[in-house]
Amino acid sequence: MTTPTVAANAYATLARLHDPTAAMKGATETPGAGGGFGDMLKNAIGALNQAAKASDTQTQAMAAGKANIVDVVTAVAETEVAIDALVSVRDRVIQSYEEIMRMPI
Amino acid sequence: MDFLKSIAIAASGLRAQAGRMRVISENIANADSTAPREGADPYRRKIPTFRTEVDRALDAQVVSLGRVRTDQSEFRLKHEPGHPAADANGNVRYPNVNSLVEMTDLKEAQRSYEANINVITASRRMIQRTIEILKS
Repeated sequence: MTTPTVAANAYATLARLHDPTAAMKGATETPGAGGGFGDMLKNAIGALNQAAKASDTQTQAMAAGKANIVDVVTAVAETEVAIDALVSVRDRVIQSYEEIMRMPI
Repeated sequence: MDFLKSIAIAASGLRAQAGRMRVISENIANADSTAPREGADPYRRKIPTFRTEVDRALDAQVVSLGRVRTDQSEFRLKHEPGHPAADANGNVRYPNVNSLVEMTDLKEAQRSYEANINVITASRRMIQRTIEILKS
């Protein structure tokens, strides 16, 4: 049975995912430490946005012949991981919501 | 996350090996170059060095290509009296590049590169397998 805590933990993990990388300096707040679910979501999406931006700039630099292919690949892989995690969490949350809505009252 | 860290560390290995490949290709390409003018030395074989670097953002030790040094061994001497770069005795000095050694180095760089790629692939698989837990 999926509970909101599962989703909350997943979001916290997702946000922590970006901590070691330099590109993720914006995600300093640790969601789930008292903020609401909305804050958590906002942070997670903000972090994802930053990862996507980083990979975008790398791709553009590569197209311009300035970037190293290795940097592009690592940036894109990081973004992919973040998107994959966020999408999975979203699916899971929606699934839980539907389950609650199906509950006979 | 540790997985992303290991990917970044392996990426530093990829960059270093790519730099090593650049040096090796320089050596191979110049294997038969003679001295640019009389009395000057021909191309000297270059040796890439690696050094450990502390990446503060990653909190890990990554590798980077250090100074590229030159091989101080003797030049190859070939007896070719008709060659324009030949000296009074008819000897031509060729770079101290041994293509066999360069080929071995090349294979080694290739293997190291692949080893680092394997680290990246494995880390990515582990991340993805973990995320898949959420999906089931």
